[in-house]
Parts: sequence; structure tokens; C-alpha cells
Amino acid sequence: MSKVIVVTSGKGGVGKTTSSAAFAAGLAAKGHKTAVIDFDVGLRNLDLIMGVERRVVYDFVNVINGEATLKQALIKDKRVDNLYILPASQTRDKDALSKEGVESVINELKKEFDFIVCDSPAGIEKGAFMALYFADEAIIVTNPEVSSVRDSDRILGILQSRSKAAEDGKTVKEHLLITRYSPDRVEGGDMLGMDDIVEILSVPLIGVIPESGSVLQASNSGNPVIMDKDSEAGQAYQDVVARFLGEEVPLRFIDVEPKKGFFQKLFG
Amino acid sequence: MKLKGEMSMLNVLHVQELDLEKLCAELEQKRDEAPQFFMKSPIIVDCADLGDAAEQLDFSLLRQKLLELGFIPVGIRNNPVEMNARLVDAGWAIMRESRPSTASTEVSGDVSAETNQQAEVAQQDEPQAAPQVAPVGIKSLTIDRPVRSGQQVYAADADMTVLAQTSAGSEIMADGSIHVYGPLRGRVLAGARGNEQARIFCQSLQAELIAIAGRYQLLDESDTELKGKPAMIRLDGEKLIIEPLAH
Ligand SMILES: Nc1ncnc2c1ncn2[C@@H]1O[C@H](COP(=O)(O)OP(=O)(O)OP(=O)(O)O)[C@@H](O)[C@H]1O
Ligand SMILES: [Mg+2]
Repeated sequence: MSKVIVVTSGKGGVGKTTSSAAFAAGLAAKGHKTAVIDFDVGLRNLDLIMGVERRVVYDFVNVINGEATLKQALIKDKRVDNLYILPASQTRDKDALSKEGVESVINELKKEFDFIVCDSPAGIEKGAFMALYFADEAIIVTNPEVSSVRDSDRILGILQSRSKAAEDGKTVKEHLLITRYSPDRVEGGDMLGMDDIVEILSVPLIGVIPESGSVLQASNSGNPVIMDKDSEAGQAYQDVVARFLGEEVPLRFIDVEPKKGFFQKLFG
Repeated sequence: MKLKGEMSMLNVLHVQELDLEKLCAELEQKRDEAPQFFMKSPIIVDCADLGDAAEQLDFSLLRQKLLELGFIPVGIRNNPVEMNARLVDAGWAIMRESRPSTASTEVSGDVSAETNQQAEVAQQDEPQAAPQVAPVGIKSLTIDRPVRSGQQVYAADADMTVLAQTSAGSEIMADGSIHVYGPLRGRVLAGARGNEQARIFCQSLQAELIAIAGRYQLLDESDTELKGKPAMIRLDGEKLIIEPLAH
């Protein structure tokens, strides 16, 4: 049974595309045939972060309009087997996505893929709605700040009232992913703590990704950060994938690095 | 045109003329006087003043206009009965005239019709608004999932029990009493059609706004020592009383 997973947030710039790329690459690396779809029609970002922008010929909207087959538009990743990318169009607007069109693409993907990851655009308008409509599960990406948490709460409401699953009387399984987490700033009171976010949203936590310079480096070089085995963010995404697949993995990188005190310096 | 609060947070729009343009312009003006109060607030259209002339009004357009203005059209009342089917097609619920004191005990044939039609309205609503209704014949609506920011749940003619949390920025509303077993963080309005006996019960009071039968109070930290604690809210005359729930 294949699964459709939407990566969404409401608020923009919180790390949806970074997370979609890492998550999809991680699933594929574990041997699951995975497709990742860029729903951000008009902006196009996923292909850049995944380093395939030069290989885009046809896109999601071409497939919906019948101008290309799905096979023609899907880009096979060269680094990870089992990983395919369906890029968004840069030239159209979000109205190019019709419910019927999206449904037929997803149904066709379901025949071949284990996981279909949908990278949602920001906001709660049409593009975001299309990305979540067919989801079985949702990864809610939240930054440790009040406005991001509030937007996540909003998108959760839309997910459980307007998705196809909701219309069919079912629920979309929810996972909370906190990104750009900086234990120092939480400690200093500048950011919301992990426990507070979980308490406010009351959604099971699937992972915490630390704020890390390696994310920007990775996206500049077109390699999903999960492939950087030395980076804390990459390792945290590995844990997310493992948890998603049912493993029990303790949280990492959530505490402030212990600073050596005077006596520790003396005796340690 | 006249817009009244009617002893509740449910606004009633008394339509007195057929000119929709004019009506909407006036309504917009009213709304802008207190946008916070009217934004996303449910509204009932009363046709009593129009009589049979109501036949000539485009209710489908009116519904659309109300949505555009940020209201949540709930239902229509005092319309000529011959119009019922047409109004339902246009996405409206047909409501009985409100009789606050007897509303909670009244069970009649048209209750089921009303509930069904309101369920229909809910589907067509904007994402932010999801009024729900208790199943026919059961005077209680149970919500077992969180009510999130931007969502609105309304138990028409019923009590409401929420088993999960309600988020800041959400709104729950019932004609009867409301029980919330998760943290109560949004707005909560009991006795929405004027039942002064309605009460609010919650396990953890963190609400932004509480209201019973139209008497409302914004809750900030200074207002109650019971913040975050189990509490019951009832109406004593014009005053909302917040009491500890457990002794
Ligand atoms: N863990 C992290 N540490 C540091 N920077 C990060 C992290 N995650 C994301 N970023 C940075 O945040 C910015 C936004 O990330 P990304 O494009 O993934 O967000 P998005 O939610 O997809 O944005 P949009 O809403 O515009 O689609 C990028 O510059 C990215 O490099
Ligand atoms: Mg993005």
C-alpha cells in the first residue's frame, strides 16, 4: 500500500522544502521507492535543493494538462536509487492545479511508488490545499516561534476538516517536525521550547532538527542535507526517517551544549 | 436594514428592503464599526419584515455576499414556507423563530429538517468555519478531535462536549452548555441563542473569551485565579461567575 505524505506548515520559510527533500531521500535510501512532488507552482524550489534544476524538461502542470506523460516528467535522482522528483512549473500560477488533475497524477504514482511526498507551498490557499487534499499522513513543519505554531495549528484544522480523508470520515495521521531549533535561544527565552510546542499543538513529535549552517551549504550544492552524515541536521533527519518507519530513536541535539564551568576546567 | 445582537452572539439580520447592494453597503459599514466582533460571526437572516416580498430576493447572492463580508451565514427564518426548498438549494438552513426560554426543550418535526440543512451549510463553508450539528434527535454534539485556530464549531439546539483541546483562535459555540476536557484556549460561547441557564465546564481554563447568553468577558491573566485550572462558568443576573470545578 502506498502512502501519500504532505509536508506543510501554513507559515512560509520554515523548512518544508528542505524537509521534503531530506525525508524523501531518506526513505529512498532505506530502499523504499519514493516520489517527491513540488506543489509550489510558480516558484520552484525543490529541484534546486535536490540539484536537478538543469534536468527539468517537463513539469507537474505539463502532466496535468496532458502535455507530457508522468514518465517524461519524473526525474530520477542520480545519487539515490528509488528516488524520483516531479518538479513544479515556474511559469504558471497555482490555478493550473485542478483537483482532478492532481488526483490522476497521484493515482498513477500510487501504482508504482511506496511513498509520495508532497512539498506544500506556504499559506492556506489553493496550492497548500491541493498539496494536502489527498494526504494519508502529514508532517507539520514548525519553527520554535509563536507565529509559526499558530499557523501550524490552522493548517491542522484545515487538514482534518477539508482533506479527502476528512470528507470520507477518516483522519489524516499527524506528525510534528520542529525545525531550526536552537537550544541556546530556547534557554535564553528567545524561542519556544520543544515541550511547549508539543503542548500547544498536541501532535506527536517525529523529530527536532537543529538550526545548522550545513542546511544552507547543502541546498547551495544541491544535495539533500540528509546525505551529509557529519551534519547534525542531516543526522536528525535520519532519525526522523527511522521513526517514521517505526523505529524507536531517542531525540538528539535538543539540549544546550554543556559549557565547561570554572571547576570543570580545573579538574576536567 | 437593522442588525441586532438578540441577547446572544448570534447576530440576526432583519432584512427590510429588496435592494441587496444597499443592504450590503450598510452591513459593511456596520461591520467596520466593530470588525473584531463581527468577523467570522454567525448570522441569521430574518425575513419577517419582508413578508411575501421575500420571494423576490436572490438568497443565493445574499449568502455569497455575507461570506464575502466575513460573516458565516447560518440560516433563514420567517420566510414564506413555499420558499424552503429553494433556500436549501441556495445553501441556507431554515430556522424556526428563536424562542430562547423554550428552545432547549422543544422537539418538533422541523428540528430534523433544520439539523440536516445546517450540516449541508457546513460543507459549503469557508475553511475557517465548520459549524457542526448534533445528530437528529440527540441533543448533544461530541467533538473528539482538537478544534484548531480558525475553526468554528456550533452545536445548534444542543449541548457540546469536546474531548480534546480547543486552540487559541478557535471558537466553540452551543445553544446549550459546553464541556471541554482538554485545555480550553479559544473562545467559548454557551447559550448562544439566549439560554441563560447554559454553563461552561472545563478542565483547564485558558480561554480567550467566555460568553453565556450574550454576556461576554475577555479573559486575561488578571481576570481569574483559575487560569489553567478546572472551572465552571455560569451566569448570575448580568454577571459571569467563574468558580472552581473541583472542591
Ligand atoms: N535546520 C535549518 N537550519 C538552518 N537553516 C535552515 C534549516 N532549515 C531550513 N533552513 C533555511 O531556511 C530557509 C527556508 O527553507 P525552505 O525553503 O526549506 O523553507 P520552506 O518552508 O519550503 O519555504 P517556502 O514556504 O518559501 O516554500 C532556507 O534558506 C533554508 O536553508
Ligand atoms: Mg518550499
